[in-house]
Amino acid sequence: MAAGLGWALALRRREEPFLLLAAGVVLAAVALVPLMFLGGELGKGDALRHAAHALSAPRTWALFVSSLGFATAVTVLCLAIGLPLGLLLGRADVPLRRVALWLHAFPVFVPPFLLALGWFHVFGRGGLAASTLGARLLFSWPGAVAVLALALTPVVTSLVAVGLQAIDPSLEEAALLVAGPRRTAAGILLPLVRPATALAALVVFSLAFSELGVPMFLRVPVYPGMVFSRLGGVDYAPGEAFALALPLFAVAVGLLLFERRAAGRRSFAVLGLRSREVPDLRLGHWRPVAIVFTAAAALLPVAPLAALVIDAARGHGFSELAQWIGASAWNSLFDALMAATLVLALSVVIGHAAARGRRGGVGLDALAVLAFVTPASVLGVGLIATWNRPSLQGVYGTSAIVALAFAARYGAVGLRTAAVSFSQGSEHYEEAAAIGGARFLRRLGRILVPIHARGLLAAWLLAVVFCLRDLETAVLLYPAGQEPLTVRIFTLEANGPGSVVAALSCVQVAMTAAVLAVGSALLFRRKA
Amino acid sequence: MASGALACRSRSREVVVYLSIDQVFTEPILRDFERQSGVKVRAVFDTEETKSTGVLNRIIAEARSPQADVFWSGDPVRPQLLVKRGLVRAYLSPEAAAIPPAFKAADGTWTGGAARARLLLVNKTRVKPEEMPRSVRDLADRRWKGQTAIANPLFGTTTMHVAALADAWGDDALKSFLTQLKANGCRIASSNGEVKRLVASGEVAFGLADTDDAAEALHDGAPIEVVYPDQDGMGTLLMPTAVVSLAGPHTEEARRLVDYLLSVPAEQKLVDVAAHIPLRADVKPAAGGKRASEIKTMQIDYAKVAGTMERLQPWLRDWAGL
Repeated sequence: MAAGLGWALALRRREEPFLLLAAGVVLAAVALVPLMFLGGELGKGDALRHAAHALSAPRTWALFVSSLGFATAVTVLCLAIGLPLGLLLGRADVPLRRVALWLHAFPVFVPPFLLALGWFHVFGRGGLAASTLGARLLFSWPGAVAVLALALTPVVTSLVAVGLQAIDPSLEEAALLVAGPRRTAAGILLPLVRPATALAALVVFSLAFSELGVPMFLRVPVYPGMVFSRLGGVDYAPGEAFALALPLFAVAVGLLLFERRAAGRRSFAVLGLRSREVPDLRLGHWRPVAIVFTAAAALLPVAPLAALVIDAARGHGFSELAQWIGASAWNSLFDALMAATLVLALSVVIGHAAARGRRGGVGLDALAVLAFVTPASVLGVGLIATWNRPSLQGVYGTSAIVALAFAARYGAVGLRTAAVSFSQGSEHYEEAAAIGGARFLRRLGRILVPIHARGLLAAWLLAVVFCLRDLETAVLLYPAGQEPLTVRIFTLEANGPGSVVAALSCVQVAMTAAVLAVGSALLFRRKA
Repeated sequence: MASGALACRSRSREVVVYLSIDQVFTEPILRDFERQSGVKVRAVFDTEETKSTGVLNRIIAEARSPQADVFWSGDPVRPQLLVKRGLVRAYLSPEAAAIPPAFKAADGTWTGGAARARLLLVNKTRVKPEEMPRSVRDLADRRWKGQTAIANPLFGTTTMHVAALADAWGDDALKSFLTQLKANGCRIASSNGEVKRLVASGEVAFGLADTDDAAEALHDGAPIEVVYPDQDGMGTLLMPTAVVSLAGPHTEEARRLVDYLLSVPAEQKLVDVAAHIPLRADVKPAAGGKRASEIKTMQIDYAKVAGTMERLQPWLRDWAGL
């Protein structure tokens, strides 16, 4: 009994490390163990020899470098558009800013492959704006970069715009006393929003680097395609796929280092949505140019979605929805909400540890980023190897496996968002509470979560959005008969009625928009 | 009360089926089975891009604790890979008696159903009647440089097709043909569905796809002419669907589903909605469709093609730049 009491006391004293350990075990079970199981496949048969051959082939590295270039180009383009646009939509005196931001954000709600399909309906030979040059450009390296950049730019725009909302108004007011709006934007706002920008760059690069659907559709060879060929081809070779995923460790570490360096040692801007009272930045004679830019940026990405709406309406796809949608929308929502809640729980603990530089926190942070850049097919096959056992059918045979897979794949999104949010708050509150005798769980519940509620809600919402739009993870793991909407769209896309596929895509957009609208309402309700 | 309990137990019965045939065609057939048998069907469908290999590799990955009771495959070659790995539970369905011997395994490891043919889809606005391609070799003809398309042979039915061509021509001739294709600017699409889209939109003049892709394009009113290739040579490749009983936990329900999928109503429905070619004599061809006996078909040893398919993979990956 005394031993039990001693253990309980030790647990109370060491709540934070124990909680971090528990979160670490969960993250490792969904992200690290699956990769280790795949690594074990290298010991079977000739797998190691084949893997060595694949890794020593020059074309492997040529494709790897080419994919890095591809993801870099997408990221640069996203930043080039998203950064000024985020500034304009977040702070400048541009009309209908919120509407423009919503329209601009729509492409993030659907799997990028659907957008590529939409662009094909616009620029293909039989498309709404058909031309030989347009079709040739679409099916090219620059075309793939442009399609993916337009799909992912809203990530930058949204994070920057929301980050700007959280800047301490007094800094901006002081700057406006001695400088004009342009210098204030360039010299104060943009540097202050660096953590959000760095996070956006990390997310965009990771998504672009691991994207398979758009490059495959537009016939641009990429490294994830090479990995997928070991898992989706006839000669199923999971060990070789794992070996080909090894260089991604370097990418994950590089991304984290980049993000840390780009965000700077101190953070000012956060994803939380503190109230602000500063008037909009006046653009003066630049305003008409800014309006044209924001209008174009808001409307252009909507073009492929508009093509899908027209397609659905023309072919009576909406009237046939009931026949084809089944329970897929509900499955999507259920999987995404479960996963995002798990991500949030992990993010609170690990994100806090990473933000405060706790031992283990940085390592777990890196593991989450590694799972984010790992091709979904590799992670999925590893999860099957780990979780498909007779004793674990309560997990593997149900939606829980999809939620775990989503948590592994998109944990980094929530975790990094939460970490950025935590890094904004002063550590002094926590220290004061600790001196007053508050244990970690109490500090978490009474101080950290309330202060960072908006940042954490934003992390949860982001995780929901990424889980809702996922295709490549879910398609490998969904329990029989319980496919999410994205999977249903793609399985019906093969010879299914085009108008129904388009209508289902519209439902996908509407469903995600509805979730975001509810989330935004919750965010702003506290503000009132 | 007893009947109520029975109904309750009946509702709780289920069977898990993995499919690499298009959902749009097969889901109605599965629903018919549910209504008729009272057995709930839980299905996993393939996406267009991973067609045939996505669920196949999921079955292999799940070998430690099999989930699927039945695999309804778009071709009889991929099931051979499962047979080789010991993942198939052989079952000789009574319905198999009506299937010609060339389209089933004597040991019950797989049984064929309504078939697809590999066709040339030609855009009539881009190709004059007198210039119609007649052979798969025309895909590599310099006259059509940059104007043809095939799906990536690493995935989907094109994998089987190139393996069948290797068996018919020899490996060297096949490799030479594929090299010529590449040099000729043939577009390597991500799926047969994309080939259909490219041809239908006039993006390319013609391409290689399956019967169901052709039927769908024609149904949509696309300006498509369908050519059964090599009718004056080696013949057109015919790919029967294949029903395979697996090692999943619902053995009895799996057998009932296999019987149903091989039955006349199921095959007739697949023929009618997906323009497949009937194998059973008691199933009528679709309107304007053909029977297998009316087409000159390639002579195929499916087990051999499966071996060739595996053997070609490393070379095909090199060829595809992956």
